[in-house]
Amino acid sequence: MGNDTDSRLSQFRKGVVELAILALLHRGEAYGGEIVDRLAGHPGLAISAGTVYPLLSRLKKSGLIDSLWRESPVGPPRKYYRLSATGDLEFAAMAKAWEGVTDAMDELLGSEASR
Amino acid sequence: MSGSARSTTGGLDPAIGALVEAYFARVHGALLLTAAGECEETVDDLRAHVYEEIARTPGAAADVERVLAALGTPESLAAQCADGEPEAVQGAPAVHAGRSLLSGKVLGLPYEFRPPTADRVALRWWDPTQPDILVPRVFGIGWDINFGAVAVRVGLIRPDDEDVPFASVPRPWLALSGLLPLAVAAIFAVLVARYQGALPAQVAVHWGITGAPDNFASKESALTLPVAMTLIGLGILALAWLRRRSALSRVASGALALMLSTISVGAYGQQIASANGGGNTAVLLSVMVLGLVVTFLMLVVLARVGRSVEMRRDLEGTSKKGSV
Repeated sequence: MGNDTDSRLSQFRKGVVELAILALLHRGEAYGGEIVDRLAGHPGLAISAGTVYPLLSRLKKSGLIDSLWRESPVGPPRKYYRLSATGDLEFAAMAKAWEGVTDAMDELLGSEASR
Repeated sequence: MSGSARSTTGGLDPAIGALVEAYFARVHGALLLTAAGECEETVDDLRAHVYEEIARTPGAAADVERVLAALGTPESLAAQCADGEPEAVQGAPAVHAGRSLLSGKVLGLPYEFRPPTADRVALRWWDPTQPDILVPRVFGIGWDINFGAVAVRVGLIRPDDEDVPFASVPRPWLALSGLLPLAVAAIFAVLVARYQGALPAQVAVHWGITGAPDNFASKESALTLPVAMTLIGLGILALAWLRRRSALSRVASGALALMLSTISVGAYGQQIASANGGGNTAVLLSVMVLGLVVTFLMLVVLARVGRSVEMRRDLEGTSKKGSV
């Protein structure tokens, strides 16, 4: 696997991360470190803190997510994120678009990818 | 709060809104394919602009289709954005692009109209969301440290402690970032007043690795560079405040002015020390390190003040219903 392959892979992962964050928050609110950890639990996505935090800040700025400081059961308060009403709509639209993409790709890749 | 870009949908016939949303859903889909995640912000601004355009028309389906047709197909729009997107737009606090768009520029994409802002320069100095400590491309002097990344690495703050860097910092604290460099510049002025007369005609202006001076100049010309550096720093600082730039810009220009004036004090102090027989560059080095540390501490303190303001706002707001 050459450098070219690596950079192509990272290019295409980059586009998916935002949807991944929205999907995660769609299941329930979470704080920054938790989002990073849970996404890191999907090695296929290859997401790091350096990707997640700028995206959180941008999603918040565009009104798709909200944040709120709350007391934490352990340690200092944490900033929790959740989807806003607009974020819910956006997530639905993006998830739908993504479905179209994966369906098409499954069809195109078909047996080649699996074998 | 935020979401102003979307609120423009209000009052519009839902069927019309659906047309626009369907168009942008396709843009987003195409963006996923081109992996141009950074374009989303631009596209959001464009969407807001589209609603503004539609508001100027009778708002019939035909009008909407005409406005959307002017943008081209969603796929070509996404491709254009992916090609033209400058690096590292992420996190740049928004100069609200929805309005800065020139009217009639629906065909063009907004990112072309967003010149590098003071904020974007400032983010090189303080962007806790980015883990890289040394950032490429410099603003004026020889290094570019992302102090925000250092603070996160050391554990003094978390990357998302503040929504927008320093935006919640109360004004008196913000003023501190302007007063500190002024204080250092004042120290510099006092040193010059006190020692300039006593310096020999020729003073050391450059030192070798061993710490021995290897270049000399007249004491007047030796003073030029430090004075110029200090003035440049203070000038940038004054501009940030006079032009009412964002808190981030003000604080970052304060940090820059603080470093420049400290380096000046260090250089001048070293000239004095060398003239008095000092055989090393301890003065210059220690003052420079001190300047870095003070700058860093100033940024961290302000970030933590901003965080505590945010925290108090949220925690007091919810405690009424939350606790008990």
